[in-house]
Amino acid sequence: MSPASRTSETEAERQFARMRAYLDATRAADGATSFRDVVALAEITAASMQAFFASIDAAIYRELRDIADYIGKMRAEITALEPSDLKANRLPKAGEDLWAIVGATEDATNQIMECAEDILSAVNRDDDTLREVANAKVMAIFEACSFQDITGQRIARVIETLQHIEQRVGRFAAAVEPNADTPGGGDSVDQREARARELLLHGPQSAGEAIRQDEVDALLRS
Amino acid sequence: MAIDPTMPVLIVDDYKTMLRIIRNLLKQIGFEDVDEAADGSEALGKMRDKRYGLVISDWNMEPMTGIELLREVRADEKLNRTPFIMVTAESKTENVIAAKKAGVNNYIVKPFNAETLKAKIDAVFGE
Repeated sequence: MSPASRTSETEAERQFARMRAYLDATRAADGATSFRDVVALAEITAASMQAFFASIDAAIYRELRDIADYIGKMRAEITALEPSDLKANRLPKAGEDLWAIVGATEDATNQIMECAEDILSAVNRDDDTLREVANAKVMAIFEACSFQDITGQRIARVIETLQHIEQRVGRFAAAVEPNADTPGGGDSVDQREARARELLLHGPQSAGEAIRQDEVDALLRS
Repeated sequence: MAIDPTMPVLIVDDYKTMLRIIRNLLKQIGFEDVDEAADGSEALGKMRDKRYGLVISDWNMEPMTGIELLREVRADEKLNRTPFIMVTAESKTENVIAAKKAGVNNYIVKPFNAETLKAKIDAVFGE
C-alpha cells in the first residue's frame, strides 16, 4: 500500500469518527435528526471527500511525473543511439566497404589467375622467354596480393561500425530494462574513434573519394 | 644522393602479407638488406639499434601509427635525415598534407605496383 493511500485512509477514518461523534452527540440531546443536523453532516462528508480527492490528486501527479521522467529518459537514450548518423553515414559506409571487398577480391583473383595462365602458356617457349614471363607475372601476383591489406582495413571498419551499434543498443537496452546485460568495451570504441580522428585514420576510401597517385604527387610538389 | 642497393631498408606494416609483398618487390628492385617492423614503436626501436638508409612505412597501425613514427624520427637528431616513404591506403588530401608537414619524402597510395615503388624510391634519392 502506498504512503498516499495510507494517509487518505487515516484521514477518512478520522472524518468517519467525527461524523459518528456528531451523530451520537445529537441523538443524546433530543433523539431526533433536524435539517441543521443533515446540513452539518453533509459539510463533514464534503470535507472528508475533499481530503480523499486531494490525496488521489497527489498520487496521480506523482505517477504522471514518473511517466514524464521515463519518457524524457527514453528520448535522451534514443538521441544517444544516433539513428540518423547510423542511417546516413555508418551503415551506408559499411555497405560500401563490403561491396568494395567483394570487388577487390574478385579483381585480385582474376589477376592472379591470368598471371598463372600466362606462365602456363609460356612453359613451351624458350628458357629466356619463360624466365622473363615468370619474373614479370610473379611480380604481378605479389602486387595483386596487396588486396588483403586493404580489404583487411575495410573489414576492420565494418567491425567498428557493428561494435558502435552494439554499444549503443546495449546502452538503450540497459536504460529500458535496468537488469539487461550491458555489453562491455563501449568506451574503448569511443576512444578508438577519438584517436582515429586525431591521427587522421580514415582507412581506404571509396573509388570516387580517394585521391589518385598523381594528385598525391602534385600535393607533395606544391 | 645516389641509391645504394646494399643499404638497409626498414619496412613497417601491421599486415604480414603487405610486409612480404613489399619485401619481394624491393628484392626485385635490387634491395637485399630488408628488415621488418609491425608498428611505429617497433620500428623506432630498430632504427635506434641500426642505421637504415630508407624507411617505408604504412600509416594505419597500432599502437604507434606511421605519422607518429615519422614525427618521432624527424624530432630525433640522430634519425631525422633518414629518407621516409609513406605507403598507405589513407588517400585523403588532409593525410598527404599532414605527412608533408611532418617531413615525409614521398607518399604512395595503396594499392601500388613495383613500378610506382621504384619510381618513388628513385625520386627520393634524386635519380
